[in-house]
Amino acid sequence: MIKLNNVTKVYKSTLVAVRDVTVDIAKGEFVFLVGPSGSGKSTFIRLLNREERPEHGTIYVAGKDIGTLGTWRVPFLRRNIGFIFQDFKLLPKKTVAENVAFALEVIGKPRQVVRKQVPAIIELVGLTEKIDNFPHELSGGEQQRVSVARAFVNRPPILLADEPTGNLDPQTSVGIMKLLDRINRTGTTVVMATHDRSIVDTMRRRVIELDRGQIVRDQARGVYE
Amino acid sequence: MALSPTYVLRETGQNLWRNVLSSAAAIITIGVSLWLFGGFFLFNYAVDNATARWEGGIEFVVWMQPDATAAQDQNIRDSISTSPAVKDWTYVDQNQTYEEFQEIFADTPELIEVVTPEVLPPSYRVVPTNPDADVVAELSNQFIGRPGVEEVVSADQTIRDIQRLADKVTRVFLVGSVILLTAATLLILTNIVSAIRSRGAEIEIMKVVGATNWFIRVPFMLEGLVQAVLGAMGAWVGLRILDDTVIEGLSEPDSLQLMQGFRVDQGEFYSTSLLVLVIAIVVSGIGSAVAVTRYLDV
Repeated sequence: MIKLNNVTKVYKSTLVAVRDVTVDIAKGEFVFLVGPSGSGKSTFIRLLNREERPEHGTIYVAGKDIGTLGTWRVPFLRRNIGFIFQDFKLLPKKTVAENVAFALEVIGKPRQVVRKQVPAIIELVGLTEKIDNFPHELSGGEQQRVSVARAFVNRPPILLADEPTGNLDPQTSVGIMKLLDRINRTGTTVVMATHDRSIVDTMRRRVIELDRGQIVRDQARGVYE
Repeated sequence: MALSPTYVLRETGQNLWRNVLSSAAAIITIGVSLWLFGGFFLFNYAVDNATARWEGGIEFVVWMQPDATAAQDQNIRDSISTSPAVKDWTYVDQNQTYEEFQEIFADTPELIEVVTPEVLPPSYRVVPTNPDADVVAELSNQFIGRPGVEEVVSADQTIRDIQRLADKVTRVFLVGSVILLTAATLLILTNIVSAIRSRGAEIEIMKVVGATNWFIRVPFMLEGLVQAVLGAMGAWVGLRILDDTVIEGLSEPDSLQLMQGFRVDQGEFYSTSLLVLVIAIVVSGIGSAVAVTRYLDV
């Protein structure tokens, strides 16, 4: 599903964020990216949806070399990749339903599809009762659930999450991880950057550890360190 | 995926409403600049119509009587064509005079209906070798009172003064409109950049979920277009008022004889209106294109 061959990403010609990374992630896998701040986790994720382009190496997503995609085709790549932010990035003047619907409207989905899929995904994340609430009326955990719903409403085969529990308390984080686990069990590949030791140790999924841009550990059913 | 008209209109409307004051400023600036621009053309048309018979260096016109005999006509023609003081001349027969009459009075068909070519005088339009006023007066005076001649009319100093004044006025209109159009373009650009910055979070989400570049850009570009078209509509109303009051007023029967041809026909008015709309679209296109290509990173 995802394949990186000798990928190197350099910022400002001297700061190496990702160095000669080669990794293969199969369809339906759940992968934790761990490592200290500045180790290259976020850059790794941003390379996968082509927010960044590598200086060297090739990246395949769903069998396609995304480095050779024309700029106009990048949006179509991103429709196959859901993205969850640490700070949720909900639109404050839109309700829960409108925030989720926004992700479908802006890719031109017909209104009847929006009307059908939005309530279904909001039910999946357990927020049916708050469907008409605005973000400021929700807790942090609920806001992140909306963010997950928005990322998954188009049913992408890949879900990227950049520290999705970074702004949440441990108990709320467990709820979000259960949700991501449930989504992963539908066959969706999940790649999640995290600092949360307890989550990694509890879930025991594949762990890729980065340090100064290099992979220093790649362990099936791994722990944080 | 096709752009949803509902989505595009909603987003454009929201963008305009969020920046309602600066949008209004842009619309007014565009309106005034296009009004000046259109006014430049209308005044030019009106001056051209008023002085049409004096173009090409023609300094005086010998109007023949409609019933002048062939011999009388030949006599005048010989005098003009053999005079060394005449550089060039044109004979305008009754049918051509009737065509001119139809052009000048295109807006009053009832007048055209009652006039026939036979009642209109043919004329000789004369370009002297020396355009000096005294020389022209001496030459034109030779034809006054001769058999078959109805009247000799000279392009006197007043006409030349009016043409010079009109040139200056229209130049002011043109320079003013170009300056204001530049300001309007910058205002449109600033408004769109402001809208882009105020919607940074939405644009980030749109990019991440896979909205196409044009899907993101079009509402912003449409915002500039709406401002320009509203400005053009305001300018059109202003031009209508200018035509109906100032230009029509100057050409009324009780105004100066000189100003009676000072009018703009409907074809000229509508071609000016169309030009104003095209300029509005070009201005919005430039402002929007610069804004979305330089400040909207998609």
